[in-house]
Amino acid sequence: MRTQRFRLIVGILVVTIALGVILSTNQVVEAAGEVNLMTWGGDFIPRAIISEFEQETGIKVNYKEVTSNEDMQSLLEASPGQYDLAVVTDYMVDILRQNDMLAVLDKDQLPNYANINPVYHGAYYDPDDQYSIPYAISISFLLVNPGAVEALGADPITSYHDLWQEELANNVVLIDWSVEIMGLVLKSLGYEYNETDPAKVAEAREKLFALKPNIMRFETNTPEDSLVNGEAVAGFMYSNQAVKGVQSRPELAPVFPTEGMPIYIDSWVMSKDAPNKDGAYQFLNFIMRPEIAARIADLTKFTSPNKAAEEYLPEDFKNNPMLNLADEVVENTSFYIGVDRVMDEYEHIYLEFKLR
Amino acid sequence: MQTFKRNILAVPILVWIGLLVGIPLVFVFVLSFLSRDSLGNIIVQFTLENYQRVVDPIYLRVFLNSLLLALLTALVTLVIGYPVAYITANLEPKKRAFSIGLIMLPFWISSLLRTYGWMILLGNAGIINNVLLAIGVIDRPVPMMYKFSTTLIGTAYMLVPFMIVAIFNSVDKLDRSLLEASYDLGASKRQTFFNITLPLTIPGIAGGFTLVFIPALGLFYVSDLLGGGNTIFLGNLINTQVTRGRNRPLAAAFSIAMIIVALLVISLYSKVAKDDREGLFQ
Repeated sequence: MRTQRFRLIVGILVVTIALGVILSTNQVVEAAGEVNLMTWGGDFIPRAIISEFEQETGIKVNYKEVTSNEDMQSLLEASPGQYDLAVVTDYMVDILRQNDMLAVLDKDQLPNYANINPVYHGAYYDPDDQYSIPYAISISFLLVNPGAVEALGADPITSYHDLWQEELANNVVLIDWSVEIMGLVLKSLGYEYNETDPAKVAEAREKLFALKPNIMRFETNTPEDSLVNGEAVAGFMYSNQAVKGVQSRPELAPVFPTEGMPIYIDSWVMSKDAPNKDGAYQFLNFIMRPEIAARIADLTKFTSPNKAAEEYLPEDFKNNPMLNLADEVVENTSFYIGVDRVMDEYEHIYLEFKLR
Repeated sequence: MQTFKRNILAVPILVWIGLLVGIPLVFVFVLSFLSRDSLGNIIVQFTLENYQRVVDPIYLRVFLNSLLLALLTALVTLVIGYPVAYITANLEPKKRAFSIGLIMLPFWISSLLRTYGWMILLGNAGIINNVLLAIGVIDRPVPMMYKFSTTLIGTAYMLVPFMIVAIFNSVDKLDRSLLEASYDLGASKRQTFFNITLPLTIPGIAGGFTLVFIPALGLFYVSDLLGGGNTIFLGNLINTQVTRGRNRPLAAAFSIAMIIVALLVISLYSKVAKDDREGLFQ
């Protein structure tokens, strides 16, 4: 009886392992007709667009959902031959490029690259535009409830500096991230992001501490909720969040702070060991078609870097100042460059700030 | 030979634990002594810097903050959980099964969703404030969210079933004849409870304390959502360092420090429960 059961268990094990081996080899054979991409989930690359591409080309697209740039870096570095494409944020392009993880893109295979707005060329993370293609652009700014600000007796908010008004006590919501908040304070003082000069950092530290009484809450994922439900009158957040806030409560208004704003460019990169480079080029070229890029922008509510897509954008997108960014707004933005250089110190200051 | 045969069933679980708990733990331990380069990449170079930073006063305050939260959570769950466990253990079998079912029911729903539930209840535009406004008890919303106490409500709510179950087991196994003897000798209900029941259920209390205290150290999403990120606990710190902080070695050093705290609590527990066979780990 006992030996019988033992044999059964061994039998099941052998069959499972054999099946596993067969299935995994099968996958390798099929990979010729597949493109493996990874990026954030939540339809960041709209499924509708992906299936259109699949129908048109017969290439299957596998979409691996990942929660952070750092996770993508780990996955890509652990198995560079497993992924063809990824969408990562600007600073991660810089890191992956310097770690020699990326393929140099062959622009001859990407005729639609000509549609990309030259404004986004030559950014610090890829000075010669060799490794990346911009996909989705967002900025951070203030979302304000002007009526409620007035009701509190505060002056209208037009800059970061206005957030320090005493009347706004316990009425401000902020993204919960040291580099971003230190950046806001530095800009309000007229300095640049990721400042390392000890005197300027010390000045920013004091000014940051002075902001504490006004902060109601730190929230990275849904800060707009606090303005929608009325528990805060002003918030610093990402553009897609502000768009959602205004949709739910039209009296909310975006304020592009006069001191300047951060910009984030999520960009396509190709693994240097991509198993299906041909398929990957076809996919990149597909999503850079003007009408496809316009639909992606409308579905994801991110600003498109695709100049030719503009005429295909729906009216409400085109007329939305938070999505169709005016040139003077974009000119007043800058990247967070060299985060790793300042982060330890900023994190420390931020901890002191929170524990006050 | 007989014992070996009996213990052979434990081999798969030991292998399982060895592979899925032991190896990652060794990895975290090694990682905590490594350095990073200017791009945030981990480089194999021995350093004690991560541990030096763990004892930085500002991080020690985060530790104290977390210990305070975990301690208060354990106390609150004890105060709420003991009567529930005591009454449940003394119910007739059918009602008792129903009661235990109710205690376990929240586990059927994602803890993240239940945390959002508290936000809907306690928010300025939440249900409690709206009801109080409607019946005229208050004329402006009472701010209840984004405080230390809100986080405490969240962690206590999340972990109270563990306390109840641990104490329930202890009360359930109580020898009823001791209580009868106590009454026969003229003790009041109150005297019996404090002299017989409570001392005999201390292993259960200690077990519940351990089961609540340790997870309370790591529930970072509760303080992010209910506490509004206004204060920082160990879990938040580790989470930030692993993700956006891009400093896994430092996060590993904090994790090791947190494991040491947990081990201290467990060793305290095993001292309390040493002479008793009704503890958690016997």
